[in-house]
Amino acid sequence: MEQAKGFSLKEWIFATDHKKIAVLYLITSLTVFVVGTLLAAVIKLSHWSPAMRELIGAKFYNVSFTIHGAGMVLFWMIPVFLGFFANLLIPLMIGARDVAFPRLNALSYWAFAGATILAVLALVLPGRLDVGWTGYPPYSLVTDANISLYVFIVHLLGISALASAVNFITTVITMRAPGMTWGRLNLAVWGLLGSFVIQLFGIPVLAGAVTLLLFDKYLGTNFYNASMGGAPVLYQHLFWFYAHPAVYVIALPAFGITSELISTFSRKKIFGYTSMVIAICLITFLGFDVWIHHLYTKGVVAWANVIQSFLTIIIGVPTGIKVFNWVATMHKGSIEFRAPMLYAVGFIILFVIGGMTGIANGLLGTDVHFHDTYWVVAHFHTVLSMSMTLLAFGGIYFWFPKFTGRMYNESLAKTIFWLLLIGSLIAWMPLYKAGLEGMPRRYWQIPAQFQEIFKITAVGGFMLILGFVLTLYNFLASAIAGQKATANPWGAKSLEWTLPSPVPSYNFKTIPVITGGPYEYGNPEEKLEGQPAAEAV
Amino acid sequence: MKSILTLMAAVLLLLPSLASAEGAALVDPVKSWDNHWNMFLTIVTTLWAFVTALVIYMSLKYRRKKGQGDGAYIHGNILLEVIWTAVPLIIIIFLGVQSWNVYRQQITVPKDAYEVNVEGFMWGWNVTYPEGLKTINEIRVPVGRPVKVNLTSKDVLHAFYIPAFRIQEEAIPGRTTNIWFNPVQKGEYTAYCTEFCGSGHSLMLAKVIVMEKTDFETWQGKQKEGMVLSPLDKGKKLIADLGCLGCHNITGEKTAAPTFKGISGRETILADGRTVKADDSYMANHIKDPKSTTVKGYSQSMPPYNLSDEEINAVTTYLKTL
Ligand code: HEC
Ligand SMILES: [Cu+2]
Ligand SMILES: [Cu+2]
Repeated sequence: MEQAKGFSLKEWIFATDHKKIAVLYLITSLTVFVVGTLLAAVIKLSHWSPAMRELIGAKFYNVSFTIHGAGMVLFWMIPVFLGFFANLLIPLMIGARDVAFPRLNALSYWAFAGATILAVLALVLPGRLDVGWTGYPPYSLVTDANISLYVFIVHLLGISALASAVNFITTVITMRAPGMTWGRLNLAVWGLLGSFVIQLFGIPVLAGAVTLLLFDKYLGTNFYNASMGGAPVLYQHLFWFYAHPAVYVIALPAFGITSELISTFSRKKIFGYTSMVIAICLITFLGFDVWIHHLYTKGVVAWANVIQSFLTIIIGVPTGIKVFNWVATMHKGSIEFRAPMLYAVGFIILFVIGGMTGIANGLLGTDVHFHDTYWVVAHFHTVLSMSMTLLAFGGIYFWFPKFTGRMYNESLAKTIFWLLLIGSLIAWMPLYKAGLEGMPRRYWQIPAQFQEIFKITAVGGFMLILGFVLTLYNFLASAIAGQKATANPWGAKSLEWTLPSPVPSYNFKTIPVITGGPYEYGNPEEKLEGQPAAEAV
Repeated sequence: MKSILTLMAAVLLLLPSLASAEGAALVDPVKSWDNHWNMFLTIVTTLWAFVTALVIYMSLKYRRKKGQGDGAYIHGNILLEVIWTAVPLIIIIFLGVQSWNVYRQQITVPKDAYEVNVEGFMWGWNVTYPEGLKTINEIRVPVGRPVKVNLTSKDVLHAFYIPAFRIQEEAIPGRTTNIWFNPVQKGEYTAYCTEFCGSGHSLMLAKVIVMEKTDFETWQGKQKEGMVLSPLDKGKKLIADLGCLGCHNITGEKTAAPTFKGISGRETILADGRTVKADDSYMANHIKDPKSTTVKGYSQSMPPYNLSDEEINAVTTYLKTL
């Protein structure tokens, strides 16, 4: 990002530099985040009162939650981690000048950008998608929603994600700087690597699932069409075989980034690095054997339910290890509460709520009651919005100097944090109660006994929306006119902080030789700040 | 270390004892569910409070003081890590076994259960009783006897959920699934559809009415005698029950389906350019086989309805009054 040259559109369109592509991903995913937030506003407005509901109508409500869900998961949460953070951090953290295949990387981005445009258009094109982001047949086969568009979007995203996965896995395996052993990798890199492995094995299955849907709808095949002897629930197996692990695609990088923030601001070595890595690997592999927890009430044989129920809740163990290790990292630290640290701590507290309530979804007996109720909605919103989103914001603030060369507005960021934390508690906690009392999800009409609860949560929802608006303002205003950042404003010890802010296009003038890990705070034997062999320009 | 092993042994011993708990005379899955839930809630709330308290404690206690340098240089601690792997594992296995036990009660239907068949459709529930009676969106059962519900669907996926009985199951076209519940108390409960099935999904509610046995029998008797409604009332009820109003309306608004207001005798322009008068036979035909003619400007989204001549007559009688 050479300041001197000024802005050139061509430079961005033909960019292959991983940092530029990272910024493109960030801008695109934030754009969809805005659209998703507007749709969330429609949903919350419709929850507000019966009159509002009539005004919005069932069809528009259904279209709104479909695009809201697909947008937030597939175009905001996954790309912000696997597009933005992966691109920005992986080469810098492993000591490389770019990814293994820079042009393939550009292709990944542009496929994603194309999918984004189509997804937003899906809101207005005829045959608006009202099938839920899951698109279950046979409903998706009989409605007049444009399923071909849905499938095409998923395929474009799939091409983008598979190319990225191959690219980044290759990069981490082959392009680490001399001395960058597996045991010295940042946990953020480990988390991202786990996610890419999931993408590589999961996405082909999703692609197959939706392709069969396409064939059923337009070519007259009968994979899912029950009236012709097909098996509608088959789709759900294939869909969740990817879509459950997709949860960890988001969570693993978030865990990694949390480790970076906690260690840096506690000025302390990560507690139990090895078990952190083992936990990431365990979650990656276990994640593929738990999809049936979405199908406990779908006529699957009982023993399969039982096995996957145990596997599901056992994932709580490696997750618990991570949480306890974070807390232990803070122990005897020298903690400074800059905004990113605040966001990381908020993440832990909210994420533990989400994790615990997730166990209720994984347990067989409880889930038979909770499945497809607002309990589940409350659960995944406490996980994704806010804890994961909060953490993404924290990470963006943390590395803001590295990709913009400027600092964000600290006090504004801290104020927003409290708004988001309180807003999300008001927006989601009451919904657990609604779910417990049996309020089904995806309901345009709200039975009278739940109206009160929904009114309260709508207030929380609007607090979140205000928080998002302020966050976007902070990002934009700071990127344009923030204070110039120094190379290492946090005194962090990880490799990327040895480079100037913003990072020059070639990253490292000479490829560094790595002599220590990224978290060597307080190491009595190390005199120098940062990794000695890395060179500033 | 020793105490952990003892705990593990205790959990393993618990397994068979839970497994044999089944024989009990008449289980009430709702009670089991609620007990399990209370246990779960106590454990996770305690855990959450514990972690949050730790986080807050660390945040306050180890806040950087002026001029303070780095924190202590600590790699980890094997014993601590083993503890916070093992303890959660034990808790989780304990909860898992308990929940499994609840689930077994949920899926083990008692032999003497009263059986009703429920078929989901867009958007309502057809109920058939063993005695041959039929109702729509209303299930009446006698109190004190377990009820088994055989589920299927006419069109897309639906799911049948009665929160009061903590039970739900998918209604799958071409297959039969089932649930059971134990109506120990008289009363009216709501059943919801919990699988998204289109614009009428949130209107797909049914009543579960648990009655005194004698009341139930009287009701059945009356139904059998054919305590008939007038065709007009019957038509009105059918239109509401069958979910026609999920697409159509009677107010005259323009929506995704033609309004019922003033439909009878209306000049309708068809997609193939013909103009027809919407008389009884046209309407009857359109309800039985909606794809045979299509109104201009609308999609062919209306599903066919397999109604008897008497029912069709009732519907058209009612439509004429709008
Ligand atoms: C899934 C939505 C849907 C449902 C449910 C539905 N319809 Fe329709 N209906 C339509 C649409 C769309 C049209 C216009 C297109 C066509 O002619 O097929 C239509 C047309 C009609 C017409 C012809 C209207 C005219 O102006 O000529 C009649 C009569 C009718 N429906 C009756 C019913 C009845 C009675 C029910 C309930 C038993 C019902 N519909 C349920 C969607 C629906
Ligand atoms: Cu899942
Ligand atoms: Cu439904």
